[in-house]
Amino acid sequence: MIRRSFTATVARNETWVGQAATEPYEAAWAGEAIFFIRALEAAVPLAEAVARVQISPDGIHWCDEGTAFGLPTAAGQVTFGRVRHFGGYLRLVAALPPGAMCKVIVALVLKE
Amino acid sequence: MDAMQRAVLRADPRLSRFDPLSRIISFDDFDDGYNGWVGLIGNYEGSLDTMLPGFAQYMEPQLSNVTHWDTGSHGAFDGTYCLKTATRPTRGSQNVSIKRVTFRYPGPIQFECYFTFKPEASELLLSELDVRAVGFLFDLQDGESGSRRVMPHLRYLNALDGKPVGQWQFKQTSVPFSKIGGSGKTVSHYHLSSEGWQDVPGGHQKLCYNEVPTKINWHYLKFGVELTSMTFTAFQCNDRVFDVSRMAPLIVPAMANLWCMLNVAMFVETDTDKRAFLYVDSVLVSGDF
Repeated sequence: MIRRSFTATVARNETWVGQAATEPYEAAWAGEAIFFIRALEAAVPLAEAVARVQISPDGIHWCDEGTAFGLPTAAGQVTFGRVRHFGGYLRLVAALPPGAMCKVIVALVLKE
Repeated sequence: MDAMQRAVLRADPRLSRFDPLSRIISFDDFDDGYNGWVGLIGNYEGSLDTMLPGFAQYMEPQLSNVTHWDTGSHGAFDGTYCLKTATRPTRGSQNVSIKRVTFRYPGPIQFECYFTFKPEASELLLSELDVRAVGFLFDLQDGESGSRRVMPHLRYLNALDGKPVGQWQFKQTSVPFSKIGGSGKTVSHYHLSSEGWQDVPGGHQKLCYNEVPTKINWHYLKFGVELTSMTFTAFQCNDRVFDVSRMAPLIVPAMANLWCMLNVAMFVETDTDKRAFLYVDSVLVSGDF
């Protein structure tokens, strides 16, 4: 049996400023995941902006999983973070400094 | 369907709880994966900003084991996973999952599924009026000699503005088409808007919500359409069989690139600032051909 996989677009054309979060996504069937962030538009300063992967026992209460990575700093750029052993629920949160903006498309790539 | 075929279907535990027409077009048990079900995306041209707002909110479906904070995983009707369509936590938010195929014979087709719906269990309250509606539809178009795009819509209006309703509805009219982009090739219409819903005659029904937001019970749904007359042929939910003679689908002129389209979609809408979830264990689409 080949390994099943699915890519879910968990944020599409969403403008992130300040604090941002993707909607909860259930991925208990998957053993590994990558969050990709692609910038459709970007306004600096984004160098200190950080995205953090969060996990949850119930889709309501969240904690940092430990994976963190930067946001793309210009339109067309892509950044990513890999996670494994994440249980059931996943989401991505981001913190952007004052004045920064990133319009994003976020892909959650899941594989058994 | 002959006796031999019926006996074979009844002997299969996964199919025995369905009443398919003579040919199974698709049987999607979400223990096996997404089976081609995806989030509905609105039409766009040049920029995603051109998408109509009603469509821009939509997101991808999820394979869910229905895990809650109080009990853990509920699981599906059988196996572990079902397909979950989730709204955002904003009153009036809606989400749609869809599967896209085409038909090879313009005859009777039928949709069956086992479904349930719940709000996110974020409060220790019954919350039975938090989900506004769940619904199901075909999106069809004649073969190239025809002239119709036909969209039989059904929804269960559970509650509206905090008041219980419990009414099945159908839809014959939609909002006008909007031009998308500048090429003249792309249009869009928000056919799942709140306007135009009509009550199914005799279509009030009380469903099994259960007693807290984390207890779920699966419901059977069946509806059928005939692809030549484009009329409803059947509609049943659990023990209630509804009269379809006064129901009709939404019909608009055929569009340039949709010939023989056979799309199936399922949707959910929240009545509060809380996520609403439509869970579907399995879907069977069948036809007579």
